[in-house]
Amino acid sequence: MTDTYLSPLWISLRTVIVATAITFFIGVAVARWMSRYSGKLKSVIDGIFILPLVLPPTVVGYGLLLLFGKHGPLGKLLLLIGTTVVFSWPATVIAAVVVAFPLMYMTSRGAFEQVESTIEDAARTLGASEWRIFWSVTMPLAWPGVAAGTVLAFARALGEFGATLMLAGNIQGKTATIPIAIYFDIQAGDTSHALVLVAIVLAISFASLFALAYWKSRTSLSKSRISHREEVDQDA
Amino acid sequence: MLDVKIKRKLREFSLDVSFSVDQEILSIMGPSGSGKTMTLQCLAGLIRPDEGYIALNGKVLFDSKSKLNLSAQSRKIGFVFQNYSLFPHLTVNENIAYGISHLPRTEVSQKVARLLDSMNIGRLGKRYPRQLSSGQQQRVALARALATDPELLLLDEPFSALDAIVKERLELDLIALQHSFKGNVLFVTHELVQGYKLGSRMAIYDAGKIVQIDNKNTVITSPANRTAARLVGFKNLYEGFINEINPVFIRVKINDLEQSLKVTFRDSGKLTFNQKVTVGIRPENIRLVDHPGENTFLCIVDTIVEEISITCYRLHIVTDSSIRHFIECVLLKSGAPLLAVSQAIYAYLPPEHPVIIND
Repeated sequence: MTDTYLSPLWISLRTVIVATAITFFIGVAVARWMSRYSGKLKSVIDGIFILPLVLPPTVVGYGLLLLFGKHGPLGKLLLLIGTTVVFSWPATVIAAVVVAFPLMYMTSRGAFEQVESTIEDAARTLGASEWRIFWSVTMPLAWPGVAAGTVLAFARALGEFGATLMLAGNIQGKTATIPIAIYFDIQAGDTSHALVLVAIVLAISFASLFALAYWKSRTSLSKSRISHREEVDQDA
Repeated sequence: MLDVKIKRKLREFSLDVSFSVDQEILSIMGPSGSGKTMTLQCLAGLIRPDEGYIALNGKVLFDSKSKLNLSAQSRKIGFVFQNYSLFPHLTVNENIAYGISHLPRTEVSQKVARLLDSMNIGRLGKRYPRQLSSGQQQRVALARALATDPELLLLDEPFSALDAIVKERLELDLIALQHSFKGNVLFVTHELVQGYKLGSRMAIYDAGKIVQIDNKNTVITSPANRTAARLVGFKNLYEGFINEINPVFIRVKINDLEQSLKVTFRDSGKLTFNQKVTVGIRPENIRLVDHPGENTFLCIVDTIVEEISITCYRLHIVTDSSIRHFIECVLLKSGAPLLAVSQAIYAYLPPEHPVIIND
């Protein structure tokens, strides 16, 4: 097995880890902000954030090309500092972030909205800074939803194909992620290599879902360790 | 000493209140949606008033003129919420310690232990809120608010979700607490008995305004308007006009009734002849008699409600008018009800009891 044989795996892993990390922070920040925002434009902004989920990935990819291409606004900006992202590895990250973001955003926004605002108010009257409230109250209470969003974003980033192909292309050892490599393997008739990659994707996907389920059962167990009989044995 | 004068626009009405509290418990009563909770939220810094001024013990917390608005974090005001709002993912100990985590660790644990002890929940420190009864949860919420040594304690219907026995015990504890807690307390409730028991003064809210704020006995005996009267237990309210004023008594002609009502003259300086007024009398001040006379009305028994120690009767006055005037009265029980439905009886309204409300 040569380096190029498994290179799609390493590219995909790098892309997915970086993309999930970026999606996590942007997604949590935006979700948190939108969960407390009640302006007139709420549904419009919400729609824009969720749009990449419902658009065909090729449309998203084409949009990104327009944005990051030589004549696009962001492309021009990057050219000023002498670089371009189109058909380079960062393009795989950009494409993955854009398509994974809506899942992270929607799931965590729902989780943040479930956190009662009076609980945060209680923390405020106790003198806790907004930063401390977020990390010690809001985040722990919203965590199951945020974690689920992260796993979904991870899985979506791992499976990203259309937008990546449009923006990053299929450059072996550089931008060819697992889904893209599988597609071109099949086209070239190399089904054995495709099968190996398919098995890897299946393994990673299952592993992440199991990890989430295991972690969830563990945390809910530790919370309900005390038996029900003991719970309310003495009234106030 | 707390000084408040705030205004805030709302959809249906605007909150516009001003009052002071000086080392005492002020009970705030009023119909739901009259701005009681919002007042507390403004004081705590959770909602910004449109204009006004809040000062606590000489420190200005909010002043719209100088654009000063201290954050909730820096106001040193304890807040106990209606639904407790404990941190569900933290233990009782951690909940109480949340606001004092900047103190040295030993000091924190000593203080938490002391508060748990004073709230009679000493054994529950390691439990999570969901493993507690609602009464215990409310004690934790109270302990958590007291941990930061607030200069003002705000209680927003703290006992509304509790059953009667737990509620009474907590009320006793709160009265006991009053002696150790030297700050000001604002206590929002919709229960008259509770507001009277716990407060030294009472404020009556109606549609965003304070219609009356006074010593609790004054509020109970001379309500400022119909809303206040209804809230403090004057279930019998009758509209009419004054048709006689003399130094000893006043007579009020109640609409649709032939006989006018004699009311002992009290501080009635503002009353004038022919003025429209409302007369209010509590159910427990009405006597049932078997003969006609002054201030006595022939009635028919409408409904009888037997309670454990009292019986409540609703009567309607016999008149020619098609409009029914009801009298609610309460008698201490001594065996079976004295009356039966549809029975005729005379209701006597002793002249020393009715209050005259001119609003």
